[in-house]
Amino acid sequence: MSIKVRNLTKSFDGKNVLDNISFEVNDGETLAIVGFSGSGKSTVLKLICGLIEKDSGDIITSEGDVAMVFQYSALFDSLNVADNISFALRERRDLKNKYSEDELKKIVSQKLELVGLKGIERKFPSELSGGMQKRVSFARAIVTEPRTILYDEPTAGLDPISSTLIEDYIVRLQQETNAASIVVTHQMSTITRTANKLIMLYNGKIVFAGTPEEMLRQDNEYTKQFVTASLDGPMHMLS
Amino acid sequence: MRELIDFLTTFGAIVENGLLTLKYIVTFQINFRELMDQCVRFGISSLPITLSIVGMTSLIVTSQVASEMVKQGGGNFVGLLISILIVREVGAIMSGFAIISMIGSSLASEIATMRVTEQIDAVRVLKVDPIRYLFVPRVLSGIIMMPIIVVIASAFGIIAGGVTTAMTTELGYRAYFDSVWLGIYMKDLGVCLLKSLCFGGTIALISCACGYQATGGAKGVGLATTKAVVWSFVAIVIWDMIFAIAFFF
Repeated sequence: MSIKVRNLTKSFDGKNVLDNISFEVNDGETLAIVGFSGSGKSTVLKLICGLIEKDSGDIITSEGDVAMVFQYSALFDSLNVADNISFALRERRDLKNKYSEDELKKIVSQKLELVGLKGIERKFPSELSGGMQKRVSFARAIVTEPRTILYDEPTAGLDPISSTLIEDYIVRLQQETNAASIVVTHQMSTITRTANKLIMLYNGKIVFAGTPEEMLRQDNEYTKQFVTASLDGPMHMLS
Repeated sequence: MRELIDFLTTFGAIVENGLLTLKYIVTFQINFRELMDQCVRFGISSLPITLSIVGMTSLIVTSQVASEMVKQGGGNFVGLLISILIVREVGAIMSGFAIISMIGSSLASEIATMRVTEQIDAVRVLKVDPIRYLFVPRVLSGIIMMPIIVVIASAFGIIAGGVTTAMTTELGYRAYFDSVWLGIYMKDLGVCLLKSLCFGGTIALISCACGYQATGGAKGVGLATTKAVVWSFVAIVIWDMIFAIAFFF
């Protein structure tokens, strides 16, 4: 079991953002988390990777690193692509001095090749398009061979073709690493092309859990409203 | 009440981050590549503005007191007065103000931008301590570079005083510089260096800590930068007062 979340609860300023949610993701699986903006999707990722503290519940992940791809890439703009990718290998106390400069160059080159961006090592993030930045952030995330990969709206702000490319790389990384992955997204194409299973959050609770195919069948009133993008239904925009 | 909470939160963050930074410095967990970059940024890029401010302050003061002193028969002590003034006070405090506006604001906005664009979250997810990676080289570069900047700026200020004296009075360079040496005491030099070391570390620490606390978007970056500048100004004036009381009362 790579990610096991049990009875997870988190509140901000007295408001329950996550209310007793539970789910599991196995190695090699990708779970999509969908829901309204502000429904707590990104909070789940931040709790799993330890950026914020949970109020109660359990989060168990397999041994090994948890990597996260941020919504807007979060590349270090003062470092070039090579230094961004090798950042953890250079700066982490347990990895520092483990690799020679030649080895680091080789690793960076391999990771860039994996995301289809060979030869841009010396470019800075500001010189790259949004899609390229996202792929560099994929390469940075997998440099420590993580067992868990979290994607926070990986196709946000990208054109449809770049989105398709990003979705392809999510699938490819999944096959290469066999990690357990969670993708937070609003896009139907990202859900259907990358995920094996899915949960929908509303008001801090899981209102649907199943596969993307089951969601598309619209048997559930929540998924029906989400898929048809309707204003009528059980879910109301949080004011 | 909100202002008080904000004040205490900021003060607590500066103390907490300062202690962590000190721990990493004492245990020698220093990224030397980053330290070199920050030293260049702290020293080289701020030098022209620091020299200008200290030089012009010296020019302003000298132009007002030199002719008056010569008139009153104290011409032989113009250099002494200016050197005491610059070594004890103007060199360090004016350099401090220049560094705050040039480097402190830049450090605060850089780290605040990293905060609001999730770059600091990315550092944490990659299991690197942001205090060790961001604070240590910046604070250490302030501690190392500030005394060097103050020494150069003070020397420049004294020379600017000499030029001003020669231009505004009949007193020559020789008379001015002969009395300069009478006003430079080892104790003053030591206090000046110690003071500038404290100024440099404090400016860098406050700027980093204010940037690190930033929330929201562009507005958050602006607020963090303003807070860093205001806190740094107040902090170095307080340091200056402490040194004046401790060494010259």
